[in-house]
Amino acid sequence: MSKFIKAVVASSVLAASVMGANAAHAATATADARANILEELTVTKDAGTDLDFGTIITTGTAETVVVGNDGTRAACTNVVCTGASDAADFSVTGSASEAVTLTVPTSVTLNGPSGAIMNANLSNTALTALDGSGNGGFSVGGALDVAANQTDGAYLGTFTVTVEYP
Amino acid sequence: MATRSLKRLNNICVGLGMMAAALTLPVQTAQAAGDLLVAPTRIILDGQRGTEVILNNIGSETATYRISLELRRMTAEGKLTDVSPEEVNELEQAAKDMIRYAPRRVTLPPNQPQAIRLGVRAPKNLADGEYRVHLLFRAVPKATSVTAPTEQTEGFSIALTPIYGVTIPVIIRHGKLTATAAIANARIEQGDEGQAFAFDLSRTGDRSTYGEIRVVKQGVDEPLLLVRGIAVYPEIASRTVSLPIPPEVAAQLKGPLSIEYYEPRNVGGGLITKTDLVLR
Repeated sequence: MSKFIKAVVASSVLAASVMGANAAHAATATADARANILEELTVTKDAGTDLDFGTIITTGTAETVVVGNDGTRAACTNVVCTGASDAADFSVTGSASEAVTLTVPTSVTLNGPSGAIMNANLSNTALTALDGSGNGGFSVGGALDVAANQTDGAYLGTFTVTVEYP
Repeated sequence: MATRSLKRLNNICVGLGMMAAALTLPVQTAQAAGDLLVAPTRIILDGQRGTEVILNNIGSETATYRISLELRRMTAEGKLTDVSPEEVNELEQAAKDMIRYAPRRVTLPPNQPQAIRLGVRAPKNLADGEYRVHLLFRAVPKATSVTAPTEQTEGFSIALTPIYGVTIPVIIRHGKLTATAAIANARIEQGDEGQAFAFDLSRTGDRSTYGEIRVVKQGVDEPLLLVRGIAVYPEIASRTVSLPIPPEVAAQLKGPLSIEYYEPRNVGGGLITKTDLVLR
């Protein structure tokens, strides 16, 4: 099959070259190529980054554990903080120099064992516009309020982050 | 008629989505999914014709996305803030009521695009004006397993899962609408994250203005500052525009300058307004 096509192509090339300029002219056809190019945007969370306060062991005194937007945890004085901490990092791509705004809630409630709750206030780095290559990013950190008699266990919470295109 | 077929399409897609979700249940992992791509980034509907938006799962796992209509209002600083249900005004409600779209929930494997179809059904007696909603695309978080390890004896563990998404404006223009803009009060401001070049952008008329801002120095070809996607929506008459000044630009931002506001290139790129000033 492909050999056959090759043969046909070869012979047609031969024919064209033999027949000269006129034939070559005839072989030039105009075709419209159409593509609908849409401006796109993407929002991704950088792999392996989450807002993580690490492991906290209470000692009977209330404490606010703060993880900055850069992911570093401030020193804990009234509780024991161990393990790695991290901030959630997001990447945004779109049109070059495009203005965007962010919506990040100021606080989030975490639900723990048998109705126990904890509150965290969120912070984030600003993102007002994408750069000249259409890239941007922002990080979300937080301050976790640990009560003096906070129940031990696993606490879960979700928060919404929205990139708003104008 | 159009609504019914849209509904049917919706049902089919939801059905497919549920099937896909059921199939992927056994391979649930701890990692959050929800990376997304949306195109185009702004929709203007002039007549009865509809359009479509492409949503693509650019994450590495199957994800379910929800598409919803949200209301936003622009603040005097140009930020978009959520409108709570009690605050919704007639104009916003009318906008929400006339948009038809489907599907509203879709489950996509990685690199699988899906077209979201959008249509408008304007009531017969609709007053002339600009109506706007914001289309929100957001991943639905996977249900966390109830058998998650909780055997920790001392201390506690915290899992905070972000649910992230993006909104794009959907603008419906009904009737012959006009708008003009003006720039005033240019200044250098000291912001939280360094210096910013700020000015007031005002708008009159019955529709929004949208375009790019160029800050040009006389005798220099390239704009010193350029930012696209600067909108002034009809709910406000004026907003401030604040552009961070990169260190290499700070020294040049002196003397005779002009601030120019252009329409986007895909609608002609015409000049909306321009102001000359001298910055000391």
